[in-house]
Amino acid sequence: MENIASHEDWKRCFCEIAPGLLLFARQWVHSAADAEDIVQEAFVKFWRRNHKIDNRALLYSAVRSIALDFIRRNSRRARREASAFEETDFSEPQFEIEDETQRALAGAIDGLPREQREVLVMKIWNELTFAEIAGALGISQNTAASRYRYALAALKKMLQPQ
Amino acid sequence: MNDFSDIENDLQKLRPTQPSPVLFKRIDEALAKHRSAPVAADTRRNWRHLLETPYNWGFALAAAAVLVLFAAISLERRQEHGENVTQVSSAPETTHSVPATPNGSEIARTEPLNKFVPAGATQVVYNTRDEGLQFTNASAQPVRRLRYHSRQTWQWRNPTTGASLRVSYPSEEVVLIPVSGQ
Repeated sequence: MENIASHEDWKRCFCEIAPGLLLFARQWVHSAADAEDIVQEAFVKFWRRNHKIDNRALLYSAVRSIALDFIRRNSRRARREASAFEETDFSEPQFEIEDETQRALAGAIDGLPREQREVLVMKIWNELTFAEIAGALGISQNTAASRYRYALAALKKMLQPQ
Repeated sequence: MNDFSDIENDLQKLRPTQPSPVLFKRIDEALAKHRSAPVAADTRRNWRHLLETPYNWGFALAAAAVLVLFAAISLERRQEHGENVTQVSSAPETTHSVPATPNGSEIARTEPLNKFVPAGATQVVYNTRDEGLQFTNASAQPVRRLRYHSRQTWQWRNPTTGASLRVSYPSEEVVLIPVSGQ
């Protein structure tokens, strides 16, 4: 009886964090379907290992690790996809764009270096603390905070009117 | 002073795309498949964690108040139902011209089968976001905008059959708190 209730809690927890987790996974894979596979594998693995539900650093670390494994396993396919993206400039949107300002912002985020972008995604859309980000990425809190500031500075510069 | 607050606000307004419903279904199936994992202790800790902030306590108290209200309504309805039963059973005794048919008594018995009474309501706030100071409607006084994301769950129960119905949905609430310039 208690286990059934707790599973409901896990399901609810997943509903709440899923958009942010998916966005985080999509920092490594272009395809939304692949990102969903990664998120599913990481979440179920996290749950089965009986971790605390609020240990978010570990959950994001799991997503990152599985995403990197996925890239290694599918490197040929990933290269082919990457070249297709470069040629056609077609990718599934990561954000729900409402106006041109948001479109420009989303484009600028895509242009950030990956290490800055992942910290930004974890901080803004997943609301992790710098301590949690540091834990998930295996870096110091100061490095996490610096990457975040660099990302914001770079975005500000990219979006400044010429 | 944080000179990136503008860009941070713009970023927070940008919403990630929602996962496909298939993913939720797959997660549901995966969790159901391995039900034996002892995860209850962790989740209990998590709900306690949700009650750590004063805002969440406020919502918890509101939810408790709704629960009490439903209990009162449920009790009232049960009393009404009890009166109805008395009337139905006394009718054949006083009115001899209308015989008590099997069909008539069947209707009287089956009526409560369709009755669902409220059995509970919960509201769990899982995210509170401070969106900073704002000026609304050309007002000179700034207001602080707080956005709460919560999940509300309502339950009804049929006391006759024991069947229950549960509706759960996410909700979003924006609260504006005037900020004094002092």
